[in-house]
Amino acid sequence: MRSKWPLILFLCLVSFAFLTTDKSHFEIPKNWPKPLYDFSKNPLSENKIRLGRALFYDPILSRDNTISCASCHSQFTAFAHVDHDLSHGINDQIGTRNAPALMNLAWQSSFMWDGAINHLDMQALAPISNPLEMDEKIEHVVSKLQHSNIYPQLFFNAFADRTITGEHTLKALSQFMLTLVSSNSKYDSVTRKQTSFTAQENKGYVLFKNNCASCHIEPLFSNFQFENNGLPIDPGLNDPGRMKISQNPNDSLKFKVPSLRNVEFSYPYMHDGRFKTLAEVLKHYTSGIQQSRSLSSKLQQQLVLTSSEKVDLIAFLLTLTDKQFLFDRRFYFPKIILSQTKDE
Amino acid sequence: MKNLQLSLLFVLLCSGHFLFSQTYKICQLHILARYGNAALRLSEQPNILRSSDSLQLETLKFYLSKLELANKGKLVYQEPTSFHLIDAANENSLLVSFSIPSQVTFDELRFDLGIDSLTNVSGAMGGDLDPTKGMYWTWQNGYINFKIEGKSKFCKSRNHQFQFHLGGYQYPFSTVRHLHFEVASSDNMTLKVDVKKLLDEIDLSQQDHVVSPGKPAVLLSEKLGQIFSIEKQ
Ligand code: HEC
Ligand code: HEC
Repeated sequence: MRSKWPLILFLCLVSFAFLTTDKSHFEIPKNWPKPLYDFSKNPLSENKIRLGRALFYDPILSRDNTISCASCHSQFTAFAHVDHDLSHGINDQIGTRNAPALMNLAWQSSFMWDGAINHLDMQALAPISNPLEMDEKIEHVVSKLQHSNIYPQLFFNAFADRTITGEHTLKALSQFMLTLVSSNSKYDSVTRKQTSFTAQENKGYVLFKNNCASCHIEPLFSNFQFENNGLPIDPGLNDPGRMKISQNPNDSLKFKVPSLRNVEFSYPYMHDGRFKTLAEVLKHYTSGIQQSRSLSSKLQQQLVLTSSEKVDLIAFLLTLTDKQFLFDRRFYFPKIILSQTKDE
Repeated sequence: MKNLQLSLLFVLLCSGHFLFSQTYKICQLHILARYGNAALRLSEQPNILRSSDSLQLETLKFYLSKLELANKGKLVYQEPTSFHLIDAANENSLLVSFSIPSQVTFDELRFDLGIDSLTNVSGAMGGDLDPTKGMYWTWQNGYINFKIEGKSKFCKSRNHQFQFHLGGYQYPFSTVRHLHFEVASSDNMTLKVDVKKLLDEIDLSQQDHVVSPGKPAVLLSEKLGQIFSIEKQ
């Protein structure tokens, strides 16, 4: 009997060690795959996340200090751009695509609708330098940060270095974005057996698994592949999608499959925000599919849904709403930025 | 007895330290940027290099990475975390120093012109790889391996400008070039880059810019090997 004590002590120590690591900042939800982001190259810390959050909400990142990341990615719509089909940036210029929801980014291998961005750290460079978005240069952002009265201290707290670099700026932004994990929807509670679906949601779930889950794979609700889901091309935008990056004609009109978590709030839908409601989305999948050479084989067969089945399917999609995520105080506009806004 | 053993061990360790400790010497690689035989003075504008089209050069920047020395085909030295941004307008960047074990002799210098694909997909990095250095694309990802910009009356573009930003790491449009040169085993080497050899190959009236990865970037990158040479002492 006595011989068991060392083992128990050992187990206690091990579990204590686990509790004290940075687990509090990032937890892999139960039964989810391993994240793809390499945390060893950018280990999360309280101060780095705090810095990243300040940067995310600070218009100092734009040329005329008017637009922040949050201008196009607001928390209450799961960090998508509310109400705008094409997001608008500096001087109210209209961009060319719809701003996607930002969540569970640690599990994504590429970013943007066409996968143009290969690493989360590098994502912020795109909107910062896009003339239609923030129209700024990272070199200049770094120098503005260096001259501000809050950032040298925040960077010191985070990286033990008051000299601000592009690397540290980008890594801090990544840290904040990595913490945007949405895993507490009703759907998640059901999979954890804490609650159950209504009969209608259940019917919708079955329809979803039969017709949608081949691309929108659980639990992240995307396979993060590039697919053509049969949207007719918008002649005004003429967006070739993935082909723009791969320069492979077989990738024409393919876009990254978006996650459907919080889809209730990430409207308008699709890369160009062409649909305002989920009903319109379902109408597309049942009667709007445009045949073309690159149309996904998974959508070749005509999908038939009765109107009550459509209602059931939407009822299921609404169980992907994660209120805890949408109202998580850790993601709110940080007070430190508020203290910086002064009336002139 | 035990004490004796311990002191013996101590003596052994100390002498081992002297016997096996490595001494190093500094090796310097000077980069000489030229247009033919003319020096590139980018800070002095205008600086006409060719009269026929009033050719001017404004920017010449490139990455030199994975520096290695070899002897009779065998690798004898590899610079750790080897990334150097060479900028013809920045005097300091034109001298690359590294320290090698003093007994090493070599007859070959090798390096990559540009940044390898793994580094291209590894997220934010500092030093010469910091994205504030102006050698990182923003609308899509990846380093620019080689950048040359200027003006020529031949260019039909606005202000007669030309801009070549050569890069791209994704198959089949990879642009990083592996170069190697015969050298004398010296701790002072000079690498000449002659942009005339590149500009003579480009018909500026037909092609005045390449600013994204793809076939044109690959074709131009293939010409970059020939513009580098080692200056004999
Ligand atoms: C003017 C609006 C606007 C601003 C400002 C903006 N974004 Fe975006 N964001 C977009 C749009 C539009 C897309 C999709 C673009 C595309 O696919 O080409 C996007 C895509 C993203 C993505 C990729 C998401 C995915 O799932 O692929 C991330 C991450 C992101 N933005 C983060 C940021 C950060 C960080 C900032 C601040 C530095 C920022 N955004 C500023 C509009 C904006
Ligand atoms: C062949 C793979 C595939 C299948 C099957 C599929 N989708 Fe999609 N889905 C996509 C792609 C790709 C997009 C993005 C297309 C774009 O924007 O160009 C998308 C976008 C969406 C969007 C918009 C999300 C947003 O935030 O903009 C919704 C909603 C959606 N799908 C629901 C469904 C439903 C419901 C089903 C089943 C009836 C389904 N999808 C079946 C590939 C698929």
